[in-house]
Amino acid sequence: MEREDLLRTPVTHMQIKSDMTVNQLVQQFRNSGSFAAGRLASACDVFENMVRDQECTIFLALAGAMVPAGLRLTIADLIRRRMIDALVSTGANMVHDLIEALGGHHYQGHWLVDDYLLYKYHIYRIYDIFVPEEDFVKADEKLIKMFDEIAGENEGKKLSTNELMHEIGKRLKDPNSIVRSAYEANVPIFLPAMRDSEFAFIYSIHLERTKKEKAVTIDAFKEVPELLDITRQSERLGMVVLGGGVPRNSVQHAALMSGKGLDYAVVITTDRPEPGGLSGSTIEETVSWGKVKHNANKIMVINDALMAFPIVIAAVLERLGEGFHRKGNP
Amino acid sequence: MTRKSASVDKVCGNCRCHNTYEYPYNVFCFTKFADRENPVVSIFDGCDKWENKLQDCFCVEDALKKQGKKKK
Repeated sequence: MEREDLLRTPVTHMQIKSDMTVNQLVQQFRNSGSFAAGRLASACDVFENMVRDQECTIFLALAGAMVPAGLRLTIADLIRRRMIDALVSTGANMVHDLIEALGGHHYQGHWLVDDYLLYKYHIYRIYDIFVPEEDFVKADEKLIKMFDEIAGENEGKKLSTNELMHEIGKRLKDPNSIVRSAYEANVPIFLPAMRDSEFAFIYSIHLERTKKEKAVTIDAFKEVPELLDITRQSERLGMVVLGGGVPRNSVQHAALMSGKGLDYAVVITTDRPEPGGLSGSTIEETVSWGKVKHNANKIMVINDALMAFPIVIAAVLERLGEGFHRKGNP
Repeated sequence: MTRKSASVDKVCGNCRCHNTYEYPYNVFCFTKFADRENPVVSIFDGCDKWENKLQDCFCVEDALKKQGKKKK
């Protein structure tokens, strides 16, 4: 590499105008090419490439309280447009989707608050979001009854988390729900750490209400071949990661087990690689395992996903235009 | 801000198996629900499944206050 190769693209200073669209702003980020702005502009390019590739199966790996914070409708819309072909999530994000689907709400609160006062008012806090206890309880009540019903209809059968989400989606009416939109669009939802959420409590009460042999049986490993079927049948694989954790590695591992590796990857996280956790691991580190191809179209954005992801979506939707149609995979 | 519950005889249900259902009047008894009994319990009438110790929360006090306002 020659010296002039390193000095090929100058930083072009951003010009911000009053009538800019989101994509035009992202183009200014591209002109800067620096720090999170440059990475965010690259994330838009990678996601656009992923979506335009009609043979690519797109996974969304979702961790962190994205649904309570306001990404619920965004994700439901992406599922309907088949810009997401499979969702891999924490159990908690789907619980919070169901809380709203069943009549509850999340409220704008504050991070500077007396948490013991919240406890005494029966209000739970997720950083600066407040959730009333009764909204959890009312969702629990309805979901436990759904579990009872699903168990009755599936006696002797072991369900995967995906099959359970399909059954729940079938019973919902809320068109803004992620679980409902996935049911309607036939998009699978996998919850690899389902029991680490309110679903554990729901299951335990369902178990008490139902004779053990009549209770719904969830097979945690059943989703492994289901995920593998998807990766094996797919021509190419892409993932968008918000946060990281178990959902991110479930997607990466399925890509590895199918012997393919991911062709596209956008990771948006604030986690750091130094402590060795998966959420902060760089995509390059993931290449060493064979989970992401060395020549993949990939970018990691160190940013708040709640802010960065909607910008990526808005810019890419603008680029695709109204007439764009994605068939969905596999 | 510190407040004390108005009555030591009434507990709101911040215990193991009770949670608020319609704040502040009704709580949900998961033990009754597990037994397929009516799980919605008034904080004024009490619940035979309650762990009968004062819970540190505002339900009873708020319910009494709101009930007083309603009567006016």
